[in-house]
Amino acid sequence: MSLISKEKLDGWLSAIAKEATLIAPREIGGVLLYRPVAHSNDIVFNFTRPEMSIKEWLFPATDRLMVIEKYRQQIRLTETLPNNRQVIFGVRPCDASGLKVLDTLFTDTDPVDLYYTKRRENTTLIGLACQEMGESCFCKSLGGELDDPRDVDIMLVEREGGYEVQVITEKGRDLLPSDWHDLDNWDERETERRVYPDFNSASSPAYLETQAWPPFFKDDYWEKLAERCLSCRICAYVCPTCRCFDIRDEVLPSGVGFDRFERIRCWDSCASEAYRRIAGGHNPRPLKGQRMRNRFFCKFYYYPEQYGPIACTGCGRCVDACPVNIDITEVLQHLVEVNS
Amino acid sequence: MNGKFEPKIVGYLCTWCSYTGADTAGISRIKYPGNLRAIRVPCSGRVSPELIMRTFDQGADGVLVLGCHIGECHYDNGNHRTAKRLPILKTLMEFTGLEPERLRLDWVSASEGERFSRIVTEFTQEVSALGPTKWQNHTESTGLRYVGSRSAEMSQPRVATFSSRFDQYVEKTEAIQEKARELLAKDQVNCVIGYEVGPRGRTRPAFIHHVDEVDRLVWNQDCSHNLATYLRQKLHPSQKSSSDEKRQRVAIVVKPCDSRAINVLLSENQFDREQVYVIGMTCEGIFNKEGASRQFASHHLPEKFSVQDRCVHCTERTPVLCDFLIGDPPDSSIIPESPGDDELEGILSLSPAERAAFWTEQFDRCIRCYACRQVCPLCNCPTCLYERDDSLWVGMGTGINEKRAFHLGRAYHLAGRCVGCNECERVCPMNIPISLLNRVLAKEMESLYDFRAGIALGPSPLLTVLRGVEG
Amino acid sequence: MTAATQIQGQNAMTPYLGKLVEVRDLAEGIKLFGVGMFNGNNGVIQDYKPGQFAFVSAFGLGEAPFGIASTKERGNVLEFAVQRLGSVTTGLHELGEGDIVGLRGPLGNCFPMEDLKGKDLTLLGGGIGGAPLRAVIHTVLDNREAYGHLTILWAARRPNLLVFRDEYSEWRSAPETQLHLTVDEPDQSWDHNVGLITDLLEKVSPSPENTFTITCGPPIMIYYVSKMLDKMGFSPEQNYITLEARMHCGIGKCGRCNLGEKLVCVDGPVFTMAEVGSFLESFL
Repeated sequence: MSLISKEKLDGWLSAIAKEATLIAPREIGGVLLYRPVAHSNDIVFNFTRPEMSIKEWLFPATDRLMVIEKYRQQIRLTETLPNNRQVIFGVRPCDASGLKVLDTLFTDTDPVDLYYTKRRENTTLIGLACQEMGESCFCKSLGGELDDPRDVDIMLVEREGGYEVQVITEKGRDLLPSDWHDLDNWDERETERRVYPDFNSASSPAYLETQAWPPFFKDDYWEKLAERCLSCRICAYVCPTCRCFDIRDEVLPSGVGFDRFERIRCWDSCASEAYRRIAGGHNPRPLKGQRMRNRFFCKFYYYPEQYGPIACTGCGRCVDACPVNIDITEVLQHLVEVNS
Repeated sequence: MNGKFEPKIVGYLCTWCSYTGADTAGISRIKYPGNLRAIRVPCSGRVSPELIMRTFDQGADGVLVLGCHIGECHYDNGNHRTAKRLPILKTLMEFTGLEPERLRLDWVSASEGERFSRIVTEFTQEVSALGPTKWQNHTESTGLRYVGSRSAEMSQPRVATFSSRFDQYVEKTEAIQEKARELLAKDQVNCVIGYEVGPRGRTRPAFIHHVDEVDRLVWNQDCSHNLATYLRQKLHPSQKSSSDEKRQRVAIVVKPCDSRAINVLLSENQFDREQVYVIGMTCEGIFNKEGASRQFASHHLPEKFSVQDRCVHCTERTPVLCDFLIGDPPDSSIIPESPGDDELEGILSLSPAERAAFWTEQFDRCIRCYACRQVCPLCNCPTCLYERDDSLWVGMGTGINEKRAFHLGRAYHLAGRCVGCNECERVCPMNIPISLLNRVLAKEMESLYDFRAGIALGPSPLLTVLRGVEG
Repeated sequence: MTAATQIQGQNAMTPYLGKLVEVRDLAEGIKLFGVGMFNGNNGVIQDYKPGQFAFVSAFGLGEAPFGIASTKERGNVLEFAVQRLGSVTTGLHELGEGDIVGLRGPLGNCFPMEDLKGKDLTLLGGGIGGAPLRAVIHTVLDNREAYGHLTILWAARRPNLLVFRDEYSEWRSAPETQLHLTVDEPDQSWDHNVGLITDLLEKVSPSPENTFTITCGPPIMIYYVSKMLDKMGFSPEQNYITLEARMHCGIGKCGRCNLGEKLVCVDGPVFTMAEVGSFLESFL
C-alpha cells in the first residue's frame, strides 16, 4: 500500500485545476456543495456528504440542448453538445453508484442521450472513501460499502499519514502524475459486492426486494404517508439517481433582425402536483398518496424492471432534506415488516 | 452616436390622463428626451408589480409609472391601488439592489403637458447619471463577507431558560391528547392535525384520524412546522385531498404565529370558520438547532437552548385565535422589548451594489425546489405564476434572473399576508435567508399602513382590497 | 407490434426540419398540418406505420406529440391533426403554409396491421382521437381485399368537432365498410345519431367473432367503451387502444409518461386492453 501525503495531494489537485474544471466539495453560504475550485485550499476534505450529489455535473439542473434562430420563414438549429473536461474530486461511493444507475438509462438504452453521455466520457471521478457512516446513510442496505471503488476512476482512502491511492480505470491512470510510482491497481476480484444486504442492523435498515413490491400498490399506506408531504421537489433534486425532466423553448436576447431561442431541459419531480397535468386540465395523479407511491415504486420496482439497478444508493440525502421527515428507510422498514 | 449612455426608459402611461398629457406636450411643442418608450394602459392600476419587475428583468434602465391624480381616476379608484402597491414594490426592489432613482411613480393630468415633460426630463437625467442597469447583469460572487452571509456567528441566538420546562411539555402533550380524544370520540372532527415524533427522533406533522392513534401526538421544543399549510388542502371545496368525500372538519394544533395564518386564510375565504377547531398553544420559542436547521432530533433536552430568529422577534406568545387554549400565558419577561431585526438592518445598511451582490450570491444557490412556496400556508394559487407551462412570466430554467423573479414575485404576493413563521427559510435546503424579503415588506406594511397580517380578521390581501376611504 | 425505428447515431433530441405544405381547417379549433420533409430524404421519417406518433416543434414555444394521421403509401407528406389547447398548439395554429416546423419521429409502437389482415375491424374514434385511426382506415381501404369487414364509429361533442368530414363519402363508398356518426349535442342540420359512443356501439353491436377493435379517444371514453365491449363478449386481447400520458421526450428518458413500469412513449402508445389490465397503475 503506497501513501501519498496531503501536500502531494494538494499539489496534484491544484495542478488539475489549471488544466480542466476541477469540481470538489466547497462551503458556499454555509452549505457544502460540489463546485469548481481554483486551488486545493478551497476544498473541504472532512465531510459526510455535500448537500447535492455529483449528478448536477453530469445532468445539470438546466441543460441547453440547442439554440434556435428564426428569421422570417427560415430556421437555423445549432446543437449545443457539451465538450469540456471536468474532474470531480471527493466523490463518495454512493454518488458514484448513482451515476452507474443513470448510465443504464441514458447511455445503455437506445437512443443514447448524447448530452449526459458526452459529459460522462469527459469526466474523471476521484473517489474519497467514507471514514464512517452518516446518521441517515444506508448504503449498506443496497449493497454499497464505505470504500467501494467500483464506480470511480481513482479511489483515495485516508489513512494514518496520508492517502492510499488505488487506480481503478485507465481513465484514472491517465490523470495521475507520471512520477507517482507503486500505485495499486484495483483488481475486480478483490471486492465481492454483496447481493443480499444485512437486515435489521442500526446502520443498515431493511430493504424490500423488487418482486415483493407489486402487492403493495393498492395499499392505503401511501395516502397516509403522504398526508404530510408538501409536494415540493427537494427529495428528487438532492437524489443522485432521480432524472425526470421537462423540455421547453425559452426566449434568448434577440440578435440583430432575428429571434433567438434555446431549447432547454430542466429537472422536474413526480412529487409535484402539476407533473402529469395535461393541456385541458386532467391529472391522473391528483392525490399526494398516488404521487408518493409513484416515487417509491419508480425507485424500487419500475426502474429495476426496465433498466436493471435499483434507483437508490442509500445516500440518505432525502432523509435529511425532507422538511416533514418522510423517511425512505422508514418506508422500507414498514414494507419489510408487513411483508414478513 | 457619440458613445454617451442613453438610458432605456419605459413609461406606463394611463390612457385618460398621463398618455393624453404626453399628447398635450407634443401638441404644444414642449420638448422632452426621446428615451421614453411609452406603453399605454387603460389605467395605472393595471400596471401590476410583476410587470414592472419583468420590465427591469428585460433590461430597462428606468421605469416610470404615470397615472391620474388621486381623486381624478377615470375608474374612480384604480390609481388608489397603484398608490398602495408601488411603494411596497419599491421597497422590495431596493432591498435587493435596485437604485431608488430607477423606479418612479407620479401623477399627470391630461392638460399638464409641461408637468409631463418636466417629470420625464428629470427622470431621464437621474437615470442617466446612474449609468446602465445592473439589475439584469449578474456579477460573479466577489467573495466579500457580507453581514447577511449565513455563518453561525452571524445571528446572535437569544438564550431562553426555563425551569421545569420539561414538565410543561409533558403537561401540554397530555392536554393535546385529551382534547384530541374528546373531539374524535364525539365525531366533532374527522382529523386532528398535530405533531408527532418519528422513529429517528425527529418531530413532524401528524394526522390523527382515530381515537386509538391519539397517543402519537406530542408537544415539544421542536414543533416548528406551521400546520396551517394543510388546512386548505383539507378544507377548500376544490381540493380532493383524500378519497374520503364527506365534508371535512379538522382540529389543528397551532402556535401563535400559525394562528395568525389561520386568520389570513379565513379573511380570504379559503374555508369556513366552523370547519376548524383551533387548539392553541402558548409558546416560549422553538428550538434553533445549530448546523442543519431543517431537522430536529428530540433526543436530548438541554437545560438552555437557543430559539429561532423569528421567536426572538415574536410579540405574540398566545394564539390570536383559538377554540381551546393550552398553556399559561408566558411570563411577560420573555417577550423582548422592541426586538431589533439585526439581520434585516444589516442589509439595509448596505449600498445598492452591495445588496445586489449579496442577493445574487444567495439566489445562485437556489435550486427552484419550491419548498419555500409549498410549505407556506398562504401560497395557494392552483397554478403558480412562476410555474406556468407557457413560461409567461418567467422561464423554467435556473438562471439567476429567473430565480430572483420567482422569489421577488412571491415575496410581493405575500406582502400584508405573511405572518412571519419563517418556515420558508427553515425548509430551504440551500440555507438561503429568504424570509428577509418577507420581513422587510412586513416592516413596510406596518409603518405605511399600520398593518400586521393575521392579528385579526379583516380584508385581505391588503394591497388589493381597498378599505374605507381608499375605495 | 414492433418498436419504433431507432434513430441511430444521431441526437434523438434534435428535430428534423420540415416545411408546412398544407394547413387547413378540419373542425372547430382543429387544423390539419401537412409536413413535407426538408434537407434531403430521410428514410427514418419516410418509413412509419399507423399508430406511431411524432413530436412537432413550434420553434420558440416547444414541442408536443401528435399521432401521425397519414400513411406513407399515400404520399410523402406527414399529416397531423392539431387541436388548439395549450401554448405549443396555439403557436402551431398561428403558422401557415411555408413555415418551418421541427419533427422528431416516428416514435412509439404501431398497430399490428399485418396480424389484423383477414379480420373484421371495428374502429372507435372520439374527437381528435380519430386522427391515428385515419391512418388505419387508409391502410385498410388501400388493401381492401386483405382485410375483413370495416365498421367505423366516429364521435364528437358537436357536429363541428367531427374530424375528416371530407373523407366520409370515400369511406362509406368502399366495399364492406360502414360508417356511423354520433354527437352529444346536435345542431339543426344533424340527422345522424345523438348520444355517447357507447350507446352507438350498443346499437351497432358488432359481433366479437373474428373481430378486433381499435379505440382512440380521451381516457374516460376508452374506459367506458372497453366496459361495453366486455359486455358484448369481446375479450381484452381483441381490443386495441392508444394512450396519451403527457410525454415530453418521447424516447423513454424523461420518465414522465410512465403507467406503472411501462412507458407510453416506448412500450406504447398502442396497447391491448389485456396488457393495460395487467398494469399496476390505471390509465385513468
